[in-house]
Formats: sequence, C-alpha cells, structure tokens
Amino acid sequence: MIKKLAYLFGGLTLLFGLWGFYDRFAHGHQNANYGSYVVWGLWVAMYLFFAGIAAGGFMISTLDLLFGIKIFKGTGRVALWGSLVCLAAALISIGLDNGHLFRIWKVYLQGNPFSLLFQMVWGYTIFGVISVSALALASLQPNSPWLKPLMAVGLVVSFFISGAVGALLGVNASRPFWHVGLLPVQFPVFSLASGAAMLLTALGFFGREDDENRPQQLWILSLSSVVLLIVKIYFMWADYSQSMYGNVPMNVEAVRLVLFGEYWWAFWILQVLVGSLIPLVFLVQRKYATHNHWAGWMGILLLVGYAVARGLIIFPALSVPELEALVHAFSGPHLTFHYFPSLMEWAVTSGTIGIAVLGFLIGSEKFNLFSPTPKEA
Amino acid sequence: MSEPKEASILTKVASEVFAGVIAPALENAPLIQAAEDDVLAKEDVLVRMERELKRALKKTPAERRWVMVIDLRRCVGCHACTIACVAENKLPPGIVYRPVLTEEIGKYPNVTYRFLPKPCMQCENAPCTPVCPVNATYTNEEGVIVVDYDQCIGCRACISACPYASRTFDFGLNYTDKTIDGLAMTLGSKQAGKYETAGAAFEYGERRERKHEQSPIGNVRKCHFCLHRIKEGILPACTTTCIGRATFFGDANDPDSLVSELIAKPNVMRLKEDLGTEPRVYYLV
Repeated sequence: MIKKLAYLFGGLTLLFGLWGFYDRFAHGHQNANYGSYVVWGLWVAMYLFFAGIAAGGFMISTLDLLFGIKIFKGTGRVALWGSLVCLAAALISIGLDNGHLFRIWKVYLQGNPFSLLFQMVWGYTIFGVISVSALALASLQPNSPWLKPLMAVGLVVSFFISGAVGALLGVNASRPFWHVGLLPVQFPVFSLASGAAMLLTALGFFGREDDENRPQQLWILSLSSVVLLIVKIYFMWADYSQSMYGNVPMNVEAVRLVLFGEYWWAFWILQVLVGSLIPLVFLVQRKYATHNHWAGWMGILLLVGYAVARGLIIFPALSVPELEALVHAFSGPHLTFHYFPSLMEWAVTSGTIGIAVLGFLIGSEKFNLFSPTPKEA
Repeated sequence: MSEPKEASILTKVASEVFAGVIAPALENAPLIQAAEDDVLAKEDVLVRMERELKRALKKTPAERRWVMVIDLRRCVGCHACTIACVAENKLPPGIVYRPVLTEEIGKYPNVTYRFLPKPCMQCENAPCTPVCPVNATYTNEEGVIVVDYDQCIGCRACISACPYASRTFDFGLNYTDKTIDGLAMTLGSKQAGKYETAGAAFEYGERRERKHEQSPIGNVRKCHFCLHRIKEGILPACTTTCIGRATFFGDANDPDSLVSELIAKPNVMRLKEDLGTEPRVYYLV
C-alpha cells in the first residue's frame, strides 16, 4: 500500500514538474522569483538538501560496506542507491539554476581550480563515479578486494563535498550570516543527519518484512537521528546566539528574518515543530521508532525539516541589502529583497522530487536492493 | 563685465561638444576668479578629462589605472547617469550598472536628501573574481573587472560574493515584451521590440542580438567603466552625462590628472574600506 502511495506521489510530483521543466527551458529564468539581490532561491536550497542526502547516504552506507557493522548488514546498497538518486536530483536542481546549463563542460576544460565551485563540480564527478562503482561492486562482486578501499576513498570525498557546500557560502565575507567558521563545519553533520533520515524512511517504508534485523536497525537509526538532530540544534543555537550577541547589523537582520520576520512560519512551524520536535518526541520512544510506518513517517518529517533548514540558510542571508538604500535605488523585475519561490520554481522542485522518488523506487525494485545480500537477489 | 561672466558660465556648464566649439573662441576672455578648489571654474572638467584620457591611451594598458571619483556634494540625485548607462549599454529590465542610492535624512519639515551613485567599485582585491568556476570574470590589464559573456555559465556566485551589489543577472526580459502591437511601425513588441533586441549595444566592443538563451541573457552583467568608449577616447557615459559634474574619471597613474588630484584630497573615502577590497571608485564627501 505504502509503495503504491509512494509511486502515486512520485508520479504526481513529476507530472507537475513537467510543466515546470517546460517553462524553464522555454522561458529561461524569466518566471523565477529569485533575482539579482536574492540571487539564489529554492533550487539552490534544494541542491544543498539533495547533495546533503547524497553525501550522508554514502557515509551511512559505509557502516555496512566499509566497516561491516553486523546490524547494518544489507543496508549498504539501499543507502548507496538513495545517495545516487539524490545526487542526480541535486545536480538537476543546480543545473537548472545556472544561466547556461550546457556550458558546464567549461568547468572541466577551462575551469578555475581555485574556485570552490570548480572543486565541487570535480568532487561530485569523482563522488558519482565512486558511488556507481561501489554499488556495482557491492551488487556483482561483494567480496571484491576493491570494495573497501573504494568505500574508504568515497567516505573522504563525501566529507569533502558536504563541507565544500558550507564553504561555498562561508567564504563570502560580504554575507556575515554565512561568514562564520562554524558554517562549513556544520555541513558534514547535516549530511550525516540527512543520510540517516533517508535510510530511516527507506527501511521504515520499504524494508523487508522478514528481516529480523529491521527493528534494531530502525531503533539505531532513530537514536542516531535524534542525536544528530540535537547536535544540529546546538549548532543553530551557537550560530544564532553568536549573531545576536555580536550585534553586527546585517547578521542580526538575517537572524531576525528567520525568527520573527518573513520566514518565521517556515522556521517555527516547519523546521522546529514539524521537522524537529515531532520526530524527536516519537523517535525516542522505542515502540514508535521500531514501528515500520511510524519510523518511515518520522524520517519524512526529518527530511522536510532539513529541506526547510537549507532554505533558511540561503534566503535570509541574501534578503538583507548590502547597502540599505539599495532597496529603493532602482526599480525593475527581479530587483527585490523579498523572496518566495514562484509556481514555476515549485514545479521544477516538484519534478526533481518526483524523479528522485521514482528513481529510488524503480531502482530498489529492479536491483532488489532490500535483499540482505546480493546472492539472495 | 557681462562678457567675462558669460564666458565663465559657458565653459562651466556647456556640454562637452558645445564647450569644444565655443571655448576656443573665448580662449582669451578673462575668467572670473574662482575658489581654488573649484575645478569647474577653470574649464569644464569634461574637456580636461577628455584631454587626459587621450594622454593615458598613449600608454600601454598595464601602465594605466582607471579610477572614478564621485563628488557627493555635487550630486543632485537626478539619476541621469543611471539612465545614460542604461541607454549606452542598452540594458534590459532588471539590469542596472549604476543605481543612485537615495537617503532621506531628518524629519519633516527639516528634511534633506543625500545621494550616492554606485557603479561597480572595480576592486583591486575583488571578491567576485576568484569565485568564478570558469574564469569568466576577471580583472583586465587596465584594472577593470570584466565579464566574458561567452564563458559565463550563469551560476551567480560572483553576485553573491560582491559586497556592493554591483552585479545583476540578465533574465532575458525586454521592455517591449507582451506589449500590444499597434499600427504604427514603432509600437509594440514586434516593431519596437526589434530595436530592443537588435545588436546595437557595444559593450566590450561586441554587437550582440538578444535571442532566447543566448548571451548576455543568462549571464551576470556589470559596469565596465564603458571600456568600449574609453578605447575610442570617450569618457564613460555616466561621466559625460552628469549635470552636476560630480563624476570624474581618469588615469590615477598620471600624477597630473584630475583624478590623481582629487583622490589625494583629505575628504576622500571609499565604500566598505574595512573589507580590504580596495575599490577604484572614490567618493568626495
């Protein structure tokens, strides 16, 4: 039943997304609500979100495929596949956000190695190759001596790509909200938390009924998610309180926008209540945490919270004018410091989610990823 | 006494072309003694800056250091520079290279305004160039930060990195989009739109038509000190259009240039100096 619902969800979101993809290609960026001031919008936030799951999914897969932790046996390939589909979704999101998507080859052949974006493009490429190779090896030759070294290198690369996303924002000295040493450090933790939530959702909804390890896996993933969530909240507290006490106007204004301004509802309702408090309450209780569907739904709520958190890193920092009088200096389309995604942006994101969900479902069925060992597949 | 007064006014306020035609005839006319720091009183600064520009162009590009000085006491907030820039570079909706920031000070009835024209600061330590993943934006030999439209992938990392909001993204809009077509040849998107989309702008010395998803659409755009004009010995559009003669432009490596004189004054400042970006745009306050 839940699988049918998931297919329906994936299908409908993709259907809505098709219109968005059409609009994006037919009219370029004209119908987007981000602009020259709030220069990155929903797609960049979703790129951070999906890239976080991709890196985190890989990290989680090492529990089985690198460290060989017994209780996680058989989860490695699912986590790797989840990581791969999310990597694809992340690249679709950021690719469509670019003004000239088809010039991406220039990054490879005519790139600037000192640019973080350049390093990330190469990082994702290496990460993708490693993930595909590791999944193929784990499926076809699980005893290959190459698997563990590959996973070890992949683990390092996954930390690099998740930290680099934070650094991409953090190096902007012109944005005090981002320009804190803590920001890049947080991202690998965010990624790990996202990867754990992804696997919790996948195992909760689609795990094998006859797998005796499943309740214990769910319980460990639930507790891990709770711990990571608390660490994440601690980071947020450190970040926001430091900003408020520091009293740098641009920084304070960005935090104010999140807590009490334009984005209050997203923060308090979606990130804090839906994405943090509710999962926290249920996941610390073993009866819910080990209940397949409860665990799955809590995983979804966690992911929703993480997605919103990404948006709340991006939008507020850009919604504070670099120079106060800029707000009224020149009028025109896409010259505003207020941002809410347009219908086209939502549609593209919906389509991207649809691709990720359907990709995960079809792939996990086709490759029998929920089987404990490839031989049983 | 009337003749000398007339000569002074003409050379002070006449346009560059007009001054060029009239001023020689008045060459020997005595001028009214002006305050020593009033550069406008001696000759129209545009005439002097044009002369200095031509002198600078005789040097190799690497020997020049273009700077802009904006005297905030002279700026009347007319936005002529903004509009001149839009016209010169045929900027589409949502693109601006030189907005004028306006600040209202005081409370009614004791209200006043102050204005701050803001082109690209052409920073010596530019935060926008190292972030570009494809070297599409860089500082050219003359110290001007430029964008290679054919190289830019439109990631907008440079916009995010700029502390002065000096870059805007070309979303592909046109002023005549969705306008109703009339009978006259100059109305509507089909007819008037031809002017807008035809390649008549000369940014970077290139003619580019505005076509779907073709550069500069999908690119980041910014002020380039009108390099295409400089190359021909003409001052940037914002400088020649300034009715208050508040904008000065020239080669700071020339010790005898007007801009060298001005940036040596004690009342000079630059925006956000604490960031260490070393802007090449100076303000006189």
